[in-house]
Amino acid sequence: MEKEVKFVMSILVADHPGIMCAITSAITDQGGNINGIRQTVVEGYFSIILTATFAAAASAEALHAAVTANFPPGEAAIVVRPYAPVAPDGAITGGTTYILVIAGPDRPGILRAATGCLARHGVNIEDWSYHFDGPQVTYIGVLTVPRDVAVAAMREALGATLSPLGITCSLQHENIFRATSEIGPVKSILEGRYAT
Amino acid sequence: MLRERDILATLRMLREENLDVRAVTLGINLDDCADRDIRTVARALRAKIGRVAANLVDVCEDLTATYGIAIVNKRIAVSPISRLLEGHGGDAAMLLGEALDEAAAAVRVDLIGGFTALVHKGITPGERLLIESLPRVLSTTRRVCASVNIGTTRAGIQVDAVNLVSATILRIAAASASSQGFGAAKLVVFANAPEDNPFMAGAFLGCGEAETVINVGVSGPGVVKRAIERRLADAPESTLDDLAETVKHTAYRVTRAGELIAREAANRLGIPFGIVDLSLAPTPRVGDSVGEIYQAMGIDKLGAPGTTAAVALLNDAVKKGGAFASSSVGGLSGAFIPVMEDHALSDAVSKGWLTLEKLEAMTAVCSVGLDMILLPGDTPAETIAGLILDEAAIGVTNNKTTAVRVIPVPGKSTGDRVDFGGLFGSGTIAKVNCPDGAQRFIRRGGRIPAPLRGLGN
Repeated sequence: MEKEVKFVMSILVADHPGIMCAITSAITDQGGNINGIRQTVVEGYFSIILTATFAAAASAEALHAAVTANFPPGEAAIVVRPYAPVAPDGAITGGTTYILVIAGPDRPGILRAATGCLARHGVNIEDWSYHFDGPQVTYIGVLTVPRDVAVAAMREALGATLSPLGITCSLQHENIFRATSEIGPVKSILEGRYAT
Repeated sequence: MLRERDILATLRMLREENLDVRAVTLGINLDDCADRDIRTVARALRAKIGRVAANLVDVCEDLTATYGIAIVNKRIAVSPISRLLEGHGGDAAMLLGEALDEAAAAVRVDLIGGFTALVHKGITPGERLLIESLPRVLSTTRRVCASVNIGTTRAGIQVDAVNLVSATILRIAAASASSQGFGAAKLVVFANAPEDNPFMAGAFLGCGEAETVINVGVSGPGVVKRAIERRLADAPESTLDDLAETVKHTAYRVTRAGELIAREAANRLGIPFGIVDLSLAPTPRVGDSVGEIYQAMGIDKLGAPGTTAAVALLNDAVKKGGAFASSSVGGLSGAFIPVMEDHALSDAVSKGWLTLEKLEAMTAVCSVGLDMILLPGDTPAETIAGLILDEAAIGVTNNKTTAVRVIPVPGKSTGDRVDFGGLFGSGTIAKVNCPDGAQRFIRRGGRIPAPLRGLGN
């Protein structure tokens, strides 16, 4: 079997139709196969992170050049790195998924306070999104909480950190949201299986 | 992948609309506690309840911390105590009532059900002993709840038992006169009693159940009401079938939360999961009322013509949503209308809009029956028997559960106010029409034969 190399890539570009096509075309033309991908748009800016596997002869420089060539000069900020399969020291390799929702009037420092508290507890943020309703902001975080973290104490610490800023927060196991939103059997959710 | 709007919708139900798990009820079979010596029985049941239920409250509190959903009541339902009284006499029933009360207190449970007799086809000595002990047991214990099943679709209605229980209700009220007859609020008289009901005061572990089981009663009248209000705000011209669809989808989500907690509690306790009871159970809090749901639908005066149809719509939609949500639906699973425990219903009774007769009609299309209704203290036993017989007739004929939980309040008359406080709420003494108009019929006793529907084989 031919040896392969894998790269992780992120791209930041002003949003417009055709960006995904430009990126995936460049990767395909280089003989790559996309393994993981996540994309979002924030305030008119497109951002994507992906991993892709190539034949051994591929290089990060060549891939960078191929993707850059599909955008007007200076438009896209692109980072390509060799994929490191082993998690670095300190990364969470197992844990429980919790959903953090924090909400209140927007002001500087909310995220620093919240994420600082999470970092002190060794919590990894897997996904983070926001929603504005006038001056009110709601952040939703998908967290991996190490199994040895006392969730009740962390919830209390988050509350103590955020309430002086006028922010409310809730932290709940993801299964309560899955049970009330998905149609698969509750038993399957508890067994860690996803609905078909 | 969870969507933002799903997360926020669930959070809104939990934080703003009073979605909670109303009861996690641990069923325990006590039949193996039987002994010739009643003190040995009492010791054995204390030990068994203490052993099986030791972690119930801690597990529920841990689940609340994990999932952020309140579990309002942690309770125990035991197999019918009358079975442990066979062959005993004297103070045996009182002794077991005290033992249950102490056992419940020891494991930090607020109510324990199962001081129960199933007499729909006849009364054994143990069952008679239990029923006759009720005035003393229910007036002197805090946590013990009692129930008596006096009819089934297969057996018909045991009128002699109805007459015995009716006289007993008056004696319970008299024995607890210092608490305005509150003892009677802890007794439910059933027809077609379910064996897996998690709700008090009527919970007991039926004969066909496992050695131990976890049954859960969900709630969420506030969630359903707010869903209807949102629907009508978004689409003011919504028709009744639109509202039914809204209720159905909401009931689905509520039921799923209940099953999640039930299964988790069962797993952590190492006890089989039984059922989720879909019943919408109100509390006296504003925003946690079944009556408010009917008001949101457009019934401005509860009890007005159309109210029964609204109850039927709600009850049916809740069942349809719940049945799709879980394959383990059981218990009573409908919409409760416990008058004192629901401020909107209680208010309608005090204004004279909601009468006993209208409540009775409503019970034909929902669960459970004439529930938490205050009666004048001088109500004759035959009148109470008539109310029970009418409800039992609805249940037995329609092959559904019905029940009566009435409190004749000593010294009080129609229109007087009574306040039990807490979850039991407050209310107005209801007017009973023609209270002595059927005494000759009721005094005949005997049995009302099973309806043709009971001969289905």
